[in-house]
Amino acid sequence: MNQQSSPETILAVENISLSFGVMKVLDSISFDIRRGEIRSIIGPNGAGKSSMLNVINGFYHPQEGSITFKGETRKQMAPHVAANHGIARTFQNIALFKGMSTLDNIMTGRNLKMKTNLFWQALHIGPARVEELENREAAEKIIDFLGIQAIRKKPVGKLPYGLQKRVELGRALAAEPELLLLDEPMAGMNSEEKEDMCRFVLDVNSEFGTTIALIEHDMGVVMDLSDRVLVLDYGKQLADGVPDEVRNNQDVIDAYLGVPHEH
Amino acid sequence: MDQKEQDTNLDTFPKLLASHVKLRPTQDAIREKDLGIWQSWTWAEAAAEIRALACGLATLGLKRGDKLAIIGDNRPRLYWGMTAAQALGAVPVPLYQDAVADEMAYVLDNADVKIALVEDQEQVDKMLEVRDRCPNVEHVIFDDTRGLRHYEQEFLHDFETVQQAGVAYDHDHSDFYDREVATGKGSDVSIMLYTSGTTGNPKGVVLSNDNVIITARNGIIRENLTSKEEVLAYLPMAWVGDNLFSYAQSYVAGFCVSCPEDATTAASDLREIGPTYYFAPPRVYENMLTQVMIRMEDAAEIKRKLFNYFMEHARKVGVRILNREPVSLKDSLLYKLGDVLVYGPLKDVLGLRRTRLAYTAGEAIGPEIFDFYRSLGINIKQLYGQTECMVFICVQPDGEVYADTVGTPAIDVEIKIDDNGEIIYRSPGVFREYYKNPESTASTKTEDGWVHTGDAGFFDEHNGHLKIIDRAKDVGKLNDGTLFAPKYIENKLKFFSFVKEAVLFGDGRDYSTAFINIDLDAVGNWAERRNLAYSGYIDLANLEEVYQLIKDCVDKVNKDLSEDSRLANSQIRRFLILHKELDADDGELTRTRKVRRSFVGDRYDTLVESLYSDKTECHVETQVTFEDGRTGSLAADVQIRDAEVFKVNSVNQEAAA
Amino acid sequence: MLFFIEVTLSGMMAGVMYSLVALGFVLIFKASGIFNFAQGVMALFAALTLVGLMEKFNFPIWLAIIGTIVVMIALAWLIERIMLRHLVNQEPIILFMATLGLAYVLEGMGDILWGSDVKVLDLGIPQGASDWMLDSFDIYIEKLEIFAAVTAAIMVAFLAVFFQKTRIGRALRAVADDHQAALSVGISLHTIWVIVWSVAGIVALVAGIMWGSKSGVQFSLSLIALKALPVLILGGFTSVPGAIIGGLIIGVGEKIAEVYLGPFVGGAIENWFAYMLALAFLLFRPQGLFGEKIIERV
Repeated sequence: MNQQSSPETILAVENISLSFGVMKVLDSISFDIRRGEIRSIIGPNGAGKSSMLNVINGFYHPQEGSITFKGETRKQMAPHVAANHGIARTFQNIALFKGMSTLDNIMTGRNLKMKTNLFWQALHIGPARVEELENREAAEKIIDFLGIQAIRKKPVGKLPYGLQKRVELGRALAAEPELLLLDEPMAGMNSEEKEDMCRFVLDVNSEFGTTIALIEHDMGVVMDLSDRVLVLDYGKQLADGVPDEVRNNQDVIDAYLGVPHEH
Repeated sequence: MDQKEQDTNLDTFPKLLASHVKLRPTQDAIREKDLGIWQSWTWAEAAAEIRALACGLATLGLKRGDKLAIIGDNRPRLYWGMTAAQALGAVPVPLYQDAVADEMAYVLDNADVKIALVEDQEQVDKMLEVRDRCPNVEHVIFDDTRGLRHYEQEFLHDFETVQQAGVAYDHDHSDFYDREVATGKGSDVSIMLYTSGTTGNPKGVVLSNDNVIITARNGIIRENLTSKEEVLAYLPMAWVGDNLFSYAQSYVAGFCVSCPEDATTAASDLREIGPTYYFAPPRVYENMLTQVMIRMEDAAEIKRKLFNYFMEHARKVGVRILNREPVSLKDSLLYKLGDVLVYGPLKDVLGLRRTRLAYTAGEAIGPEIFDFYRSLGINIKQLYGQTECMVFICVQPDGEVYADTVGTPAIDVEIKIDDNGEIIYRSPGVFREYYKNPESTASTKTEDGWVHTGDAGFFDEHNGHLKIIDRAKDVGKLNDGTLFAPKYIENKLKFFSFVKEAVLFGDGRDYSTAFINIDLDAVGNWAERRNLAYSGYIDLANLEEVYQLIKDCVDKVNKDLSEDSRLANSQIRRFLILHKELDADDGELTRTRKVRRSFVGDRYDTLVESLYSDKTECHVETQVTFEDGRTGSLAADVQIRDAEVFKVNSVNQEAAA
Repeated sequence: MLFFIEVTLSGMMAGVMYSLVALGFVLIFKASGIFNFAQGVMALFAALTLVGLMEKFNFPIWLAIIGTIVVMIALAWLIERIMLRHLVNQEPIILFMATLGLAYVLEGMGDILWGSDVKVLDLGIPQGASDWMLDSFDIYIEKLEIFAAVTAAIMVAFLAVFFQKTRIGRALRAVADDHQAALSVGISLHTIWVIVWSVAGIVALVAGIMWGSKSGVQFSLSLIALKALPVLILGGFTSVPGAIIGGLIIGVGEKIAEVYLGPFVGGAIENWFAYMLALAFLLFRPQGLFGEKIIERV
């Protein structure tokens, strides 16, 4: 899982504070993500986990603090800058292009990998066609990877929930991201689907070396998958460390895990 | 040229392969859908792949008589693994790919497997799990590298690496492969197939090249199959049927086999390939039909009306047209119109438009399902077979297809019915032995080659076709000596959509009786259409009208039974509708929803006794387990009815009348 | 019977014009959820620019057309820069009001730049009746109308391929489907808006040319936008084929109603028939013929 050989930091956020009006959503949060690791963010509902991801990929603009991604420090991200520099994500409440097929969703995920201009595109010949075929192959590899061949041509809006989550992961993977943000990829799944999704997360991490930031509620999953875990509580940073440290942290137990684990 | 003579010196699969390379080098041998596109290999290309693999396997130490396990979905590389092993004189042993590691461990150990060729990470993980228990497995070769990059065990090999080693070896020992192939002969062991075995451990059925190739060729001759057939390989490779239809017959006839992209895409791949020769177990045909019906329910009014109209017409004349019986010009024209408007498009959707020959086997198929496909003009036929003889025992001849028989003996097959009603047969396909299991071999196969099927049956008096009635051990006798085949009668009852389950009693009794479970949906629906009020299963089961409905079903079954002098006396005299649905949670059904007859008999012994008395009602109280796990008790007064019993109506009497 | 066919065909030809304008509406509505009230005025503005370039600068036809396309693209860019960019995430009604404003600005601009007199647009599109139709079938149809129908068909086929098969087409559909998700895969909303408004501008140009060639370029041209409204209600606001077929139905419907029912109610049915039909649709099938029933998963 953890590639010890390259402890390089891919992303660092420093003293990030975000408020909406009087409501403080994130309060001076600092943490880093190392290249190649699976980094989880946990915390009760309303802890600011999703907001943190939204800051990282530029949907939210924090009032204070800075974000350093691949060595470049910014006050805030913009979504297309984040995407351009290799950050892809999935959403808590599945945000797929519902009217489009699985294949088209994944092809759209390759948007940034396709460069031909409007002119060729409009004519649908020449370089645009070649590019279309190349990217189709890349998309097919993702379909194969996720085992969703059977729904290739189906409109995603009609798929069951678990499969939609999978397609959304596929769309994010299509961009060949360096950092993948997964916002509760296993929410609402049955245990079999969860197991599959865990497998995919681990495979993505080990096969493609993709760094993963994961928000998840299932503690079993988090403790199994993660290299390091960040705990948020009402916008504040409660703990940060490897799963065992976090599990035994008294603040975390009090605030979140509730019952102390038996040892 | 006579096909039989032409091929007699082609007595192994590698030799057959070589002959296709000569005869049709550029024709497709196998196809696989990968990354959304059909990839294909010609016979020449496939032969090159197999040669490289065989040499590679030799470098890993696979020798004559060694076993190569093959585990995974239908993939060209896994099929090549079979031929490659056979080229070296080694024996391929395909395993069921969805078996858990423990089950695999037994077979890997029992079969003395030396090398395992597996599909992907999932299977590799299982091999690693059982490695301690199967020290005989020296190497594991995997096809799909995904997820396996970081596996560093030395006994794991990538398929391509093995082939590369093979190419190098072939380069240095260029006569090795051809010499090995030439050494092989018809009497060598061709393959070992493990039967799932309902009781005890699975048994390895050892089949020689002659067993497999002669049987495959006889099947081809009987059905006039050619090298132009299209076949979809989608059933487990470990199952004898897949080995026959997608491997052996492809090598004998030279037709192309297509492997689906994934287990979940088989239906759409079927549509794209449009097989001309197709096998499916009854449940697949059932599912297809259900899908069609559901879709028609949702279709627009006009479309549905059109569908119903033409399907009604097909029911009337379709089967007769398929059997080449004469029909009126009007009916024939109307059927042609229906073919353009309904049957053709429907067959397209099913993927069966080009299907010349479709087989089904394994269990009884509902007559209405069977007739549905036949009325569309799809020549679906039942066959009766076993792993022990490379499938073919009986096949329905074209034009003589009846839902309740399995046809006439296949080419070169002799069949006898022994005194207990058990079917025994002898054929060139009869297996050599069960691997390392002389006891089972001796109890199944006689000295002079007759094999006990374990099935009870008889030849129909009207048409001479074989009829299977039950497992031989489940067949009993009434007190007057009449054959009592409970499952056969139960199945007849269950073909009525109103009957969900039926339990027959009669072994060692004077006459047959039955418990019936009504189908809550079907009967409920029927009752609603008649404005009959009911408040639940018990209530519905007790309605006079429902009893009448079920009595009609029972009467029809009795009428059917009366057609055959041997079974006529086992007509159902009395029956009752059970006050609760048989439930696996109460132990009345197995988890696979098969009725546990003796358990049910004991549990409701008061009811059984009442059936054999002259009571018309019986009070019963039962412990039941609710869905949430609580238990409670259920009390009801169950009514008992007499059914109509018909006179024996065999051929002889018909002739006399 | 022949007369009936003639009426139907001529209704269809008028319908094509409605379709073209409705198409512009649909494109913008799909991609940005904006009901662009200025679509009609854009058609007028494009036609005015074309005529202006030809008359005042003596551009040849092909150059004038290219020039107008450039102007329409520049206009799209300006609209995105000055208007849309600042109104992101506002209520639809506010965006609608903005397009209302845009309509007046464009009308004024056209007036100032090119003058307010009725202009003749002559692109050399053949005029008069089609002799071939007249000779072979005895049906009277204007050549211009056939030309318009063919052009519209080509354009729709072109748009369909563009939307289904290309990256930008997919990006357009993606934006129409889910803004956030589109952003997350690196689609820039700004670029997409410029593209959509440019395409709508070009569609407007085609509509402007057709309408202008038939009845001259004048300010009443902007009023065909009002006819597009019932077309949209019929066809659904988000459906390209809906816009086409809706336009044809309205065109044919009002012609037939005018000819066959007109005499009984004193004529002028053509003026209100479309709106009655739209009203009926609103009552019985509010999503239109092809509009998507939005399926929400909970």
